[in-house]
Amino acid sequence: MIYKFLEALDQRFGFERAKAHCDIPCGIYDPHTALIAALTVVRMNDLMADLQNSGNPQDLAYVNSMSRYITVKEEHAEKVKQEVRIIWGDYMKQQHIDKHPEVHQLVHRIMQLASQARQSANRDVSVQLVEAVNEFGEIFWDTKGVTVKRAKAPYAPGLEIIYPNV
Amino acid sequence: MCRLLKISGNSLYPVYQEGDFVMISKISLFFKPVKRGDILVFRHAYYGTLIKQADHVLPGGKEVFVLGTGEQSIDSRSFGPVKIRDLDGRVIHHIKKPGT
Repeated sequence: MIYKFLEALDQRFGFERAKAHCDIPCGIYDPHTALIAALTVVRMNDLMADLQNSGNPQDLAYVNSMSRYITVKEEHAEKVKQEVRIIWGDYMKQQHIDKHPEVHQLVHRIMQLASQARQSANRDVSVQLVEAVNEFGEIFWDTKGVTVKRAKAPYAPGLEIIYPNV
Repeated sequence: MCRLLKISGNSLYPVYQEGDFVMISKISLFFKPVKRGDILVFRHAYYGTLIKQADHVLPGGKEVFVLGTGEQSIDSRSFGPVKIRDLDGRVIHHIKKPGT
């Protein structure tokens, strides 16, 4: 009751914050970076498949393009792992884990999927990676008390991703 | 004089958590010296307004060594003791966020 009243006042007038800081106090965490990286992995798989269907593996241009797609796929699969690890390891505290005990298993699944996405050219794996990062993002935003919506990304590969309702 | 503040961050977890409100009083510092365990609010030149727990008052009584309860806390272990005169106040009331 008192808390709700104070919260309403805070929403309207904004009380000063007393920071109980941990680590480097930048406080900027957002799973969207990981989501974009996961989408990029899917996109690279699509571009690789397109090139395979239309190009000539003997052409230098083919080799050059395919090499670039693979490199970007590698980099972004690794970026997914790094971004998720930062939120999981730096941002998430015991009370978040108490509320979402499944997060450890989910993070482990993301690590495994991202590694598989690097090792293979399997589109299904990369799509599963996007969905796992979506689930992770839903947990993250829930810890912030922010609801999310799902919508198709307005760019290729046009998969459904989460957006915070802020 | 009292002030109401909202906590951000979790270096005083689990007693004080992100989203909790605290009422602080500066006047109480004049009547009752700072002692170990007091929750203090002060302004730091770089980090802004911070809330930490008093660990011990240094000899001379003019500075206090403050700590968070978490290992990763930014506190006197990194920025040194805080001058008593720089304290904004001591927490005199704590309103916890429901469900935490």
